[in-house]
Amino acid sequence: MNLIFRFLIIIVPILILVFFTKVLLIDEDNKLINFESKIFPEFEMRDLNGNQVSAQSLSGIKILNVWASWCITCLVEHPFLSQLSEKNIEIVGLNYKDTDSKAIAWLQKHGNPYIFSIYDPRGDLAFDLGVTGAPETFLIFDNEIIAHVQGEINQQKWESIFLPLINNNQDQS
Amino acid sequence: MLKKLIFILSVCSLSVPAFDQMIYEFDDTLQEKRFYSLISEIRCPKCTSGSIASSDVPVSRDLKNKVYELIISGSSDQEIKAYVSKRFGDFSNYRPALAGANYFLWFGPLIFFALMLTVFFYKRGT
Repeated sequence: MNLIFRFLIIIVPILILVFFTKVLLIDEDNKLINFESKIFPEFEMRDLNGNQVSAQSLSGIKILNVWASWCITCLVEHPFLSQLSEKNIEIVGLNYKDTDSKAIAWLQKHGNPYIFSIYDPRGDLAFDLGVTGAPETFLIFDNEIIAHVQGEINQQKWESIFLPLINNNQDQS
Repeated sequence: MLKKLIFILSVCSLSVPAFDQMIYEFDDTLQEKRFYSLISEIRCPKCTSGSIASSDVPVSRDLKNKVYELIISGSSDQEIKAYVSKRFGDFSNYRPALAGANYFLWFGPLIFFALMLTVFFYKRGT
């Protein structure tokens, strides 16, 4: 009996240590693999060109990118988004807490990778989506949000999070 | 006279950012109490750790305004928490609901403590 206790006294702390080391070493981005998908909230809004848009405008596979002209990281990820749009990936912009004149000027200056940009000056739709700031990127498949990345989207995150999900959903349909 | 007026006006213009902040007015003290206890129980989604009460990032400000709106419109504490966690995840709640895997979270330390006591007394007995 004593032997078992001595054994446990050594083994249990080691197990606890291994457990917490593992928890700490989980990559923040890979946590999103356990993302719980949810239905895109209903909305009726204008885009930057003044056209009416609603949740129905988001059918098929779409990327939703939250951006603003005041957002510096948006400028960092902008070339990558442009690359994606050149590959015919449909990116919808969500212009967040911005003014339309500044947003349009920004797109004219840096290029427009978006098929349209929802104009959300007060951040109402963004709030319903659980957006904490700009930039953030969502993967939407037929009005269902299946992934959400906070911060810059780049090649590495694209390949590890979005691409497998896109391939998966294309196989299913 | 004019100099004084210019001085006063320029001092006033310095504090313009102060007008940005929403001022919360409640119908009664219960609403006010509920508001302050709720905002200290909702986690700031943009911070490493801390409630929205202790944070001034834009998303926390939006959350506080939303909590205020919901309280004024008559939502219960439970409804407000559900509203927030539906959008920002269960992570947003500093007092996790007593359900599912959270049982382990709430009672884990007690079970661990009981186990330690058992081992301790068992060892003394032998």
